[in-house]
Amino acid sequence: MSVVGGRVAVVVVLASVLLFVAWGLAPEAALFRDAQSQHALLALASVLKLGLLVAGALVAFACRDRLEDGNPARPAWALLAAGLFATLAGQLSLAPYQLFSGQSPFPSVGDLFYVLSYPFFIAAFLVFLRAYREAGFPMGSAAERVGIVAGVGLLAILLAVVILRPVAAAGGADLLERILSVAYPVLDLVLLLPLALLLRVALRLGTSRAGLVWGELLAGFVFLCLSDMLFAYLTALGQQHLDPYTHACYVLAYGLVTGGALQQLRLLKA
Amino acid sequence: MLASDAVQVMVRVMSPYIGDTMARSAAEAHCRRLGVGAGPLSDQQLEALLVKVGGGLNIFLGREKAATVIAEVRRELQQTGAVAR
Repeated sequence: MSVVGGRVAVVVVLASVLLFVAWGLAPEAALFRDAQSQHALLALASVLKLGLLVAGALVAFACRDRLEDGNPARPAWALLAAGLFATLAGQLSLAPYQLFSGQSPFPSVGDLFYVLSYPFFIAAFLVFLRAYREAGFPMGSAAERVGIVAGVGLLAILLAVVILRPVAAAGGADLLERILSVAYPVLDLVLLLPLALLLRVALRLGTSRAGLVWGELLAGFVFLCLSDMLFAYLTALGQQHLDPYTHACYVLAYGLVTGGALQQLRLLKA
Repeated sequence: MLASDAVQVMVRVMSPYIGDTMARSAAEAHCRRLGVGAGPLSDQQLEALLVKVGGGLNIFLGREKAATVIAEVRRELQQTGAVAR
C-alpha cells in the first residue's frame, strides 16, 4: 500500500470509529434512528472489519515472507497471520447475516473461528518474546518478568471477577452462549500476559520505526481484548443498544493491528 | 577505540530503527556477554560485537536491511579509525 493509500485508510478508519461512537452516544438522532440506517451501519462495520482483516492477514503473511528462513521472527509473523486469517473466517461467516438481514447471530459458526484465532495469537506473542530473548535483547531479569506477569495476572483476575460474574450468571441465555461469553474474556486475559511482556520491549523501542510497529500492534490487541470484554458484558446484560461502541472498538483494533503489520512490512522493504 | 565509543556509534546508527534505549541496552548487553570491558576493543572483539548486534537487528529488519545498517556502522567506525579500511 502506498503512503497516500495508507493515510486514506487511516482517515476512513478514524471517521468510521467516530461515526460508531456518535451512533452509541445519540441513537435517537435522525441519522441513526430508523432500522434501515442501523442496518446500513451494521453493514458498514461488517465491510470495514472484513477489509481490515483481509489487509492485516495478507500484510502479516507478507512480513513472514520477507524474513529469511531461520529468522526467529518469521514463525511469529506466520502465526500472527494465521490468527488474523482465523478471525477473518469468523467475520466472513457473520458477514452474510450482517449485510443482508442486519443481524449478528450469537453464537454462530463464526465463533468457532474467533476462538481458534486465540491460540495463534498467544503462540505468536510467545514466539516473538523468545526471538527477542535469543537475539540478545534485554528482556529484564526473571524476577522482573515474573513481577510483570503476576501484576497483569492479578489485574486480569480482578477484571474477570467484575466482567465474568454477570456474564456467567446471565439467565435466559443457552449454555453455548454462556460458555462463549465467558471464553472470550478469559482468552483475552490470557492474551494480555505475553502482551504485557512485549509492552516492556515496545517501550524500549520508543518512537523508532520498530517502536511504531509494536505501538500499533499492541494497541490493536489491547482494543481487541477490550472489544471482546465489552461484547461479552453487553450481551450478558442485554445491552445490545450499546453495540455501536463494540463496533468502534473492533474497527479500531483491526485497523491498528493492520497498521502495525504494514509498518513492519515497510521497514522490511525499506 | 574504547568499547563505549563503539557502542556510541552503534547507538547513533541503529536508533532510528530500534530506538536509542533499545540500541544502547542491546549493544551493552552484547558487550557484557562477550566479556568486553570498559577498556580498548580488539579487532576480534569489535567484529564479534558487530555480528551479535547484526543478529539482533535481523529480528526487526530482516537479514538484508540489518546487513545494510551494520555496513553503515562499519563505515562510521572506519571514519573514526576503529576498523581497518
